[in-house]
Amino acid sequence: MNVDVEALIREAGTAGPGRIRAAARLMTIAEGGSGAAVNVLGKLAGAPEPRLVLGLTGSPGSGKSSLVDRLLQHCRAENPDSHIGVIAVDPSSPYSNGAFLGDRVRMMRHAGDPNIFIRSAATRGHIGGLAAGVFGMLKVMGLAGCDMVLIETVGVGQMEIEIESLADLVLIVLAPGQGDAMQFQKAGLMEAGDVFVVNKGDCAGAAEFHAQLMASLRLIDHDRKQRGPDAVRLVSAREDHGIAELLDYLERLRDTEAARWLARRRTRLGTHLRAAVLELAQRRLEAEWSGLAESDPVERVLRGETALADLAGELLRRAVLDNT
Amino acid sequence: MASSIAFAPQHPPIRILIGKVGLDGHDRGAKYVAHILRDAGYEVIYTGIRRAPEEIAEAAVQEDVSVVGLSFLSGAHIALFRRVIEQLRRRCAGQVVLVGGGTIPPDDVRTLKSMGVAEVFTPGTSARTIVDRIGQLLDNRQVA
Repeated sequence: MNVDVEALIREAGTAGPGRIRAAARLMTIAEGGSGAAVNVLGKLAGAPEPRLVLGLTGSPGSGKSSLVDRLLQHCRAENPDSHIGVIAVDPSSPYSNGAFLGDRVRMMRHAGDPNIFIRSAATRGHIGGLAAGVFGMLKVMGLAGCDMVLIETVGVGQMEIEIESLADLVLIVLAPGQGDAMQFQKAGLMEAGDVFVVNKGDCAGAAEFHAQLMASLRLIDHDRKQRGPDAVRLVSAREDHGIAELLDYLERLRDTEAARWLARRRTRLGTHLRAAVLELAQRRLEAEWSGLAESDPVERVLRGETALADLAGELLRRAVLDNT
Repeated sequence: MASSIAFAPQHPPIRILIGKVGLDGHDRGAKYVAHILRDAGYEVIYTGIRRAPEEIAEAAVQEDVSVVGLSFLSGAHIALFRRVIEQLRRRCAGQVVLVGGGTIPPDDVRTLKSMGVAEVFTPGTSARTIVDRIGQLLDNRQVA
C-alpha cells in the first residue's frame, strides 16, 4: 500500500473538507503497528498537543460511553468553538481477532457535529485497558485540532491502569452494585483514579454506594493523588444529573493542577521513550533472529558452549549494531 | 502455530460499519450480521438503530471503514441508500464497499446494485455466504 503520509498530514492539519478523512486514515496507519506506523509517528513530531486528555475507565457496563456522551453534550454547549476527540476502546476477540465496537452507539447524537471526532479502537491483543495504537491516535487528534480528547478504556477489572500513562486526569466510573467498602480498599484501579464518578445515581443503592466510597477514601490522609472529597461524584448519565457539576469540577482542577499535569506529561514522555526503545530493540532482535538460521544459538546453549545470559547480551549487541 | 492470543500486526483486521438508517427499529438482523463478522475476524463498528444518512457517512469516515453494511425492514432502502451514498461522496469516501440486507424485493436489489451497492443479502442468506461474499468484494477491491 503506497500512501502519501505527508500529504495526509498536511490535509489533516488544515480546515478543508478532507480533514477528517485524512486524520482517520492516519489513525488507521498508526494503529496498524508496522514500519508505516513508526513513520507516521515520526512525522507527527511537533504537531499540536491536545490541551487536556481525559481518561475514563471502569467495569463493563458502568456507563463510561454514556458518561462520555453527556460530557460531550455539556462541553459543546458551553464552548461552541471547542474541538473534542473521543477514542473509545473495546476488546478484540482472542479467538478470531475480530471485535464488536459498540461504544459509538451511546454517542451517536454527536455524529453530525463537525467539531467532534469519535474513533473506535479494538485492543488487538494489547493488555492494560488500551489498544497499542491509542498513543498514535491521540497524536493525530492533536494534529486535527482537538483541544480536548476523551479516552474511554475497554471495560476493566482491578488491574488495568494503563490509561494513567496517557491521560492527564483519570476518571474511574463506578455503578451501584459493584461491591462494598472491601472493593474500595483494594490496590490497583482504585489507586489510579483522580476522580471517582458513581454513575447510575438514579438506580437503587447509588446514594449508599457513594457514601461508602467517600468514607473509604477519607480514611487515607497520605493520598498520593491528593484527592479531596469533591473527587467523588454522584451522577446519572441517563438522567443528566450531576454532569454539569462534574464538568465544573474538572475545569477547576484544570486551573489548579495545570503545573502538576505538565510535570506528569514530562514523566510520561520518559515512559513512552523507554517503551519505544524496547519495541525497537524487539523488532531488531526479531530481524537478527530470523537471520540466524544456520548457526542456531539454541544449539550453542544446549551444548553448553555459552550461558543463556551471556548469549542474550551478545544477541542484543548484534541486533542493535547490525541493524542501525 | 502461533498462539491464538498473538495478533499478527502485518495483517490488521479490516473494519466494517454495520448500522440501520431510517425509522424501523428491527435490529436483530444487523446485530446477527455484526456478530458473524466479528467471529470472521472483522472489527465491526456498530451504530445502532434510527441513524440519519449523514450520521452513518460521518461515522464511516471517522472510523475509516472499508465496508458499510446497512439493514432495512422499512421498505425505504432505495431512498435511504441513495442519501447515504450521496453523503459518503460529499466526504470523499465514495470508494467504500456498500452492502445491504433485509426484506428487499428482487427488483429493488437490481436498482440498488445499479446505484453502486455491491451486494444485497435477503432473508435466508447463510452466515457463510455473507462472510464469503464480503471477503470476495474486499479482494476484488484490492485487485482493482
